[in-house]
Amino acid sequence: MCANILETTDLRVEVNGLPILSGVEIEFESGKVSAILGPNASGKSTLAKTIMGLPEYDVVDGDILLDGKSILDKSISERARLGIAYAFQTPPIISGVKLADFICRICPDYQCKAESDYFMGESCSCKSELYEDFDRLGIGNLAKRDLNDGFSGGETKRSELFQVLSMRPRIMLLDEPDSGLDYDSLRIVGKELKAIREKGDTTLVIISHHRYVLEYLEVDRIYILQNGRLAYTGDMRDIPVLEEKGYDRFLADVMR
Amino acid sequence: MNSDDLRKRAIKAKEKKAEYGADLDLEEYSYSSAPGQIESLDEISESDRDLVKDVGFNPSQDGVSGSFLQFDNEGIFADVLLKQEGLEILPITEALSKYDWLQDYLWNAVSVDTDKYTARSEITDYNGYFIRAKAGACIQMPVQSCLVMKRNQSVQNVHNIVIAEEGSELHIITGCATPSGVEQSLHLGISEFYVKKKARMTFTMVHRWSEMMDVRPRSATVVEEGGTHISSYAILSPVKSIQTYPEVHLVGMNAKADHYSVVYGSQSSSYDIGSLLFLEAPRTHGKVVSRSIATDASEVITRGDLVGLSGETKARLECDGLLISNEASIRAIPMLHAKAEGAELSHEATVGKVGADQLTYLMSRGLNEEEAASLIIRGFVKLKVPDLPPALQSSIDEAIKMSLEGGM
Repeated sequence: MCANILETTDLRVEVNGLPILSGVEIEFESGKVSAILGPNASGKSTLAKTIMGLPEYDVVDGDILLDGKSILDKSISERARLGIAYAFQTPPIISGVKLADFICRICPDYQCKAESDYFMGESCSCKSELYEDFDRLGIGNLAKRDLNDGFSGGETKRSELFQVLSMRPRIMLLDEPDSGLDYDSLRIVGKELKAIREKGDTTLVIISHHRYVLEYLEVDRIYILQNGRLAYTGDMRDIPVLEEKGYDRFLADVMR
Repeated sequence: MNSDDLRKRAIKAKEKKAEYGADLDLEEYSYSSAPGQIESLDEISESDRDLVKDVGFNPSQDGVSGSFLQFDNEGIFADVLLKQEGLEILPITEALSKYDWLQDYLWNAVSVDTDKYTARSEITDYNGYFIRAKAGACIQMPVQSCLVMKRNQSVQNVHNIVIAEEGSELHIITGCATPSGVEQSLHLGISEFYVKKKARMTFTMVHRWSEMMDVRPRSATVVEEGGTHISSYAILSPVKSIQTYPEVHLVGMNAKADHYSVVYGSQSSSYDIGSLLFLEAPRTHGKVVSRSIATDASEVITRGDLVGLSGETKARLECDGLLISNEASIRAIPMLHAKAEGAELSHEATVGKVGADQLTYLMSRGLNEEEAASLIIRGFVKLKVPDLPPALQSSIDEAIKMSLEGGM
C-alpha cells in the first residue's frame, strides 16, 4: 500500500477575509494521480495555491502535511525545494528573462554552475540537451522569448508544464493543464503526463474540467469540491457519469 | 566662429545656471594640468587596469581597432592599431593644431554658452579625444576609450569630437571611471558627434563614478541624410549627482537615431538623465528608451523629449522605472512636442515596484525572495539594443553584470 505523501486536515482558507475552503480533508497517495474536480468557484485552484503557499491564501485552521509534517510555516520557495511544483494558469511576464535560461536555472539536471553563466544565457553549456526537450514539447519557438511575454494560451500551458517538469518535483499541482489546447498540443501534454505517471515517482494532482486527459491518465482518485468543501471522493469510473449528469445531479444522486 | 568669440561667449555665460540639476559652485573645484603622454598601455598600474576593465576598456587591446585613455587632465594615450585604415584617434588639442577645419566642429553641436559648465569647459584648458572614421571607411572593430578621474577636489575637463564621415561606419565603446575614495570632484565632459551622409555610428558609454563625484556631461549629435546614430548609455554606480540631457538633431532626410539608457540608482545619489531628439528633416525617425532602477535613497529623474519639426517623421519614447526601496524615487518625464503636420510621436512610461505576483511566481520555482528580486532586476535592466554588433551587446551585458554583482 502506498503511503500518503501529502494531506490536508480540516483545512480552512480565507482570501481577504472571505472563507473559500471549509474543513477540506484530502489524502494524496505517493506516486498516484489525483483529480480535483468541481464546478466553477468551488475552491479547486485555491486548494492548489494554498498547498503551494501563495501569500494571499490564509490558512485559518487545519493543516497541510508533507510526509506527515506540517509545511504551513514553510515559504513558497521552501515548499518548492521540498518538491512541490505548481503550474500557473495565468503566469506573469518576466521581462528580460528568456524561457530557456530560466529552465537552466530551475532544473537540477541543467542548472548552470554560475549565475553569471545563467545571466549571459548563451554561454550555458547545457543548451543543446535543453533544446531537445523544447522540441519534444513543441515549444522550441519560445526558448529565446521573454518568460510568458506574448505566449498564447496553449503555449503558456506547455511552458508551465515544461518548467514544472524541469524542477523534477515529487508533487505536481497542475491547474487546468488541458484548457485552451488544440488536439496536437493536448496529445503532447497527455503524453508527457502519461510518461510521468508510468515512471511512478511523481504524485500528480490535476485540476481539470475535461474527461480526455483524466481518462488517458487513468486517474486513481477523484475529489469533487463544492462550495469550498469536499463533497465526494471516487475514482475513474465516476467520470463518464459525472459528465453525463453534471455536478449538481451527480452529487445529489450520490448523497441520496 | 573664431576662438576669441567663443571665449567671449563663454565668459558671458560663466554664471549661467543649468536648466536642470543641482547648481554647483565651480569655485570649489581646482583645475590642474601637467600635460603628459602615456607611451604604452603596459605603463598603467594593475589597479588602474582593473578600474578601466570595469567600464569595458581592454588594456590588452584585443578585438579593438584603436584606443584612447586619459587620466585626469594629463596622462593621455591615443593609438590606432596597425592596418586599420581610415581611422584617426588623436588628443583633441593635437587634432585642433593639426586641422584648421576642425575649428568649425568645435562648439558647433553644443553651444558654448549653454550653461556655466560649457562655459567653464571653454575657459579652462581641456583635453579629450578626436575620433574620425574617414569617408567610406568601415571600421569593423570598435574603438575603445576611457576617461579616468583620480584626483581629489578637482575638475576633469574633457572635450571630445567624433566624426563619422560620409558612408563610414564607426563603433565606439567608452567608459568613465573613478576609483572609490575620490573625494568631491567634478567631471565636465563635452562631446560633439557628427554623423555624415549615410554614415553609421554606434556609441556605447558606461559610467562608473564614486559617491562624491558630480558629473555634468554636455553632448549633442548632428545626423545628416541617411545617417544612423545609435547610443547606449549605462550608469550603474553611485555618484553624488549627475545631470545630462544629450541632444540629437536629425537634419537630413531619412536620418535615424536611437538612444538607450540604463540607470541603476544606489545610495543617496541623484541622477537626472534624458535625451532630446529633434526631428528636423522629413522622414527622420528615432527612439528613446530608458530603464531606471532606484535602490537605497537614490533619486532618479528620466527625461525624454521628442520634437517633431518636420512632416513624415516618427519617434517613440519609452521610460520604465523599477523602484526597489521605499526611500528611493523615480520621476519619469516624457515630453512630446509636434510642430509639423505628419510628425508622429508616441510615448509609454511606467514606474512601479517589483510585482508581488512576479516574486511569487519565481519563488514557486524554488528561488528565494532575494534571488527572485535579483532576477527581475537583471531582466529589467538587460538592455537589448537592436542592430548592435554582438561584441558591443556583450560588452554592455558584461558591464551591467559586473556592476550588479558589485552592488547587489
